[in-house]
Formats: sequence, structure tokens, C-alpha cells
Amino acid sequence: MRRRYIINIIKKEWEDTLSNLNTLLLITLAPLLIIGQGLLVIYLVVRFAGEGVLMSPMFQTAMEKLEAILPSIAELPPIDKLQVLLFSQLHVYLLLIPVMIAITFATFSIIEEKQSRSLEPLLATPVRTDELFIGKALAGSIPALVMTWLCAGLSLIGIACLGTAHILGAVVTPSWFISVFLLVPAVTVLSFLLGAIISSRVNDPRNAQNISLLIILPVLALIAVQVIGVLLLTPLLFFIIAVIVGVVDLIVLRIGVRLFQRESIIIQWR
Amino acid sequence: MAVIETFGLSRSFGNIVAVEDLTLEVEQGEVLGFLGPNGAGKTTTIRMLAGIIAPTSGYAVVAGFRTDHEVERLHEVIGLLTEAPGFYNRLSARRNLEFFAGFYPYVDTQTQVDKYLRLMGLWERRHDKVGTFSKGMKQRLALARALLHEPQVLFLDEPTAGLDPEASREVREFIKDLSRQGRTIFLSTHNLAEAEFLCHRVALFRRQMLAVDTPQNLRQRLFHRQVVVQMDSAEDSVVDAVRKLDFVQAVHREGSRLIVELADFERNRPNLVECIVTAGGRIQEVSETEYSLEDVYLTLVREETEGSNATKS
Ligand SMILES: Nc1ncnc2c1ncn2[C@@H]1O[C@H](COP(=O)(O)OP(=O)(O)OP(=O)(O)O)[C@@H](O)[C@H]1O
Ligand SMILES: [Mg+2]
Repeated sequence: MRRRYIINIIKKEWEDTLSNLNTLLLITLAPLLIIGQGLLVIYLVVRFAGEGVLMSPMFQTAMEKLEAILPSIAELPPIDKLQVLLFSQLHVYLLLIPVMIAITFATFSIIEEKQSRSLEPLLATPVRTDELFIGKALAGSIPALVMTWLCAGLSLIGIACLGTAHILGAVVTPSWFISVFLLVPAVTVLSFLLGAIISSRVNDPRNAQNISLLIILPVLALIAVQVIGVLLLTPLLFFIIAVIVGVVDLIVLRIGVRLFQRESIIIQWR
Repeated sequence: MAVIETFGLSRSFGNIVAVEDLTLEVEQGEVLGFLGPNGAGKTTTIRMLAGIIAPTSGYAVVAGFRTDHEVERLHEVIGLLTEAPGFYNRLSARRNLEFFAGFYPYVDTQTQVDKYLRLMGLWERRHDKVGTFSKGMKQRLALARALLHEPQVLFLDEPTAGLDPEASREVREFIKDLSRQGRTIFLSTHNLAEAEFLCHRVALFRRQMLAVDTPQNLRQRLFHRQVVVQMDSAEDSVVDAVRKLDFVQAVHREGSRLIVELADFERNRPNLVECIVTAGGRIQEVSETEYSLEDVYLTLVREETEGSNATKS
């Protein structure tokens, strides 16, 4: 792996992707909207529907599960417990961001190369296909991670501003760390790889994005399940999920690398 | 010294045989035209020689490197002009070239990019997005890209396809210059006049090699030389007199012209003229039938088609 070549690829990918207004907005504005919207919804629920929610049996069962994981909140007043319950799940919601950005980068970059037929002249230079693949993967993953971590930071600031005192302590738990620093990178890589593999077979970026999203839906389903409080994940469960996604990454990476050979790019990618 | 050498090079896609048993040598500094109809396997051959796809059997050595397993080294010394120009349309011409130049280890990117932007007449437009370029400009930019690292061996896949006469001519002149600089050029084309103008030798190819030689030799190999005698009028008495000559192999009359095939062409041509004059023919002009490379090409391709149909039935 030659660093100079990989940096050359990353720079080109960024220039090319960011010169497209749609993708630029999708990468910068959409994550902020996702997180802003999450914060706002939680704030409104707590503020205006708080009392009603507190009475519901769903809240009761969810609360029991949460207290089992976080014994320290047992003493809090019910409305604070509701805040903790909701805000502590925001980080799962964050997972949407790397999925979105990495898939956008992957599909955009590969379908663009296919349509402009620039892969063949590129493959005629001394660059190796693994360098090309890694370059593209980094070009897509770095912004995905940076934006997600930025949004994670912003969400903490938001929580601190909107929530009651000491709420951060109840939100920034081991689960939060595992999710943000293990699960997010693993999901980023998975999203990129899926996006890249599907883009090698499909010719329309929208199509490729839709198919990739469909495959990554289980992760999104996890969010849904978590958010409606059916299943509250313990740190251990989070860790196990992160490890599983990591293993899936390795398997999918092998498929990706096999697909990313000079010969198959020229002969099979249509 | 042979710079490109292939040994029984073959490539199939599933059960389609695209290139079969190609054995060929191209000398240092030579321009070889690779001629063949659509689907003949020209692009497939170039891809194998440029180390982009592997042969299914046989192998090739280009500039001393095996094209199937010394690919990175090979790519440092060859230039490829692909069938489609293939640029990033939202980036400028200059940025595109810089990007590609960035993959060659010993290239001074700025110097080379500037040099070829100027040489290709794209200097004024260097900051414009490639998406705004005409086909001819893109093709010139693609040539620039193929040359950034000063390769001594060039593969050009239909360099003038789709260009207008003016643009084709510019590209052809430029290739001629490259040839004068002593570079070895492997050029595929359907344009026979272009092959004749640029190439030292042409290979007629359709899945297999049909013939390879200089255009001149190909013509002579395929067609007997014929004398064309233009007269005031071709009288029967003259034709009969010519028929009786023992060195005459065939005579055709076309209006006031006689077309004659001779044994020992150079020696007997004056004898033929003498005979006609003696028989009372008034000669206006004596010339030789001109066969174009196109005639050679069409004849060979037709023969090959008939041959393969015959073996099939
Ligand atoms: N990727 C591929 N998959 C399957 N078949 C292929 C592939 N590439 C080429 N072929 C087949 O190989 C044969 C030769 O194709 P090739 O593109 O080399 O011809 P060509 O001489 O360059 O034609 P043209 O003048 O149209 O460019 C054709 O029958 C083509 O269908
Ligand atoms: Mg072709």
C-alpha cells in the first residue's frame, strides 16, 4: 500500500463528491437535521405529553428494564426518568448518519466511475486495485465518522441544554461509548462495503442506495425496536452486536476485494 | 528488438472466443496498425497487452514485462488510450490530469501536466470542467493523459473514432509526431487511410490474425499486378494480338482500356506496349491498377468469412 496513491484517491473522491450539491447537502445538512429532529421530538414529548406517557403501561415496563441496567436512576422523579429513557436512546438514532453518508459516498463514487468510464484508464496506471479500494473506502468512511462524532457531540450539548441537571451522567453510559466508538465504525464500514458491492452491479445511484438501505434495514430495525422501548440493550449486548457487525464487515470485505479486481471491474461491472 | 511479443495469446468470454492464438512481434519504434471489423477482438487484444485483463491461454511480453503478472511495472512504462476517453466530468482538465499523473512514481506532475495541456492545445481551457469539453477536446485530453509519464510504448484504441475530419487529422498528425520521436505504437482502427498514413505494418485481424505486413506488400501478395493500357479505342485486332503473346496471362477489355496480367511484370511490360503499337493501337497512357488497403482488407475479411462458413457446414 502506497500512502501517496491512497491520498491521491481520497482527495479526488472528496473534490468530486463535494462538487455535487445534492451529495454535499446530504453529507453536511442531513445529519444535523436528523440529530436536531431527534432532540426536538424528545423535548416536545417530555414537555407536552410527559404526564400522559408516564401513566402508560409501556412506559412502566420500559422503565423497569432501564432501571435494571441503570440502578442509579431509581431515585429520580418520574419525569426525569422519562427524559433519561428517551435521551439515552438518541445514540442509537445516531447510527442512521454513518449508514447514510457511507452509502451515499460508495454508490456515488462507484457509479460515477462506471458511467464516465474512467475505471479503465485508471486501471492502466500503476495504482493497485487494493489501493484504489482502500482509498475509496477511506474517502467514504472518514466523513461518515467525523460527521457522526460531531453529531454525537452536538447531541450531548443538546441534551445538556434541554434536559434536567445531571442528565448527562445518565446518558453517557458504557453503552453510549460502545455504540459511538465501536458500533458506529463497524456500521460505517458495512454500509460502505454494501454500497460499493451493490453499485458494481447496478447502474443508477438511487437504486443502489435503496438496495443498500434494504440490506442494512436490520440495523435500522434495531433502532426502531430500541426506541419504542420493546428491547433495551445492555452494554454487553451492545458490545456483542458491535462484534457481530465487525465480523460481518470482514466477510463482506472479502467479497468486496474479490469483486474489486482489474479483470472483474472491466469484464463484469456493467 | 521486439518491444511487444505475443505467444499464442487467446481470450474467451464464456464460449465466445474473442482472440485466438495471436502470435505477433512489434519492433522498437514501429507503428503497427491493428485492423479489423467491429467485434474482431481489437479492444480485447489491447486490454491483454496493457495488462488490464488476463489471457485465457498464451502470454504476452511488453517492454520486457509479462502482461499477466508484472502489471504494476508494466503500467509504469506503457500508455493506454482507451476506447472511451473516461474523465471525471465535474473536475477541471488540469485536475483530471494531475490525478492520473499522481500514480506514476517518477513523474513531475506539474511540469508534465502543463507540457501536455499546451501541446494538446488545451492550455486556455485548463480550468474548465471536462464535462463542458467537445468530443475532440476530450480525445486530445485522453492522449495527454496517456503520455504524462512519457511511455515508450503506446496502445491507442481507435484514436480518431467519432471525430470530425479536422479533429481526426490533428490527432493523426500528433500520432505521426509521436512515431517520429521513436515511440512504439500499437494502434487499432477501422480507418484504412489512417492505417496507411500512420503505420509501418498493418495486421488484419478478426479473432485470428489474417495477415500482417506493410500495406505495400499486402497489396502485392493479394493481387497480381496488372497493366492498364488506355487507348483511343480498343480494336478486336489489337486484343487478339495481345492474347497471342505467350507472357500474357489474362486480358480484360473495359471500353477503350485493356487490363492485362503479365508474367514477369517488369520485363514484359515494354514488350506488351510494343505489340500493341505494332498491331495499330494508339496508346494514350500506360499505368498499373491501384489497389487500396481497403481492397486488401475487404478481400481478406470476406475470404475469412467464407472459410469459416465452409468449415462450419
Ligand atoms: N466483457 C465482455 N464480456 C463478454 N464478451 C465480451 C466482453 N468484451 C468483449 N467481448 C466479446 O469479445 C469479442 C471482441 O470484442 P472487442 O470489444 O474486443 O472487439 P473490437 O474489435 O474492439 O470491436 P469494436 O471495433 O466494435 O470496438 C466480441 O464478440 C465481444 O462481444
Ligand atoms: Mg473496440
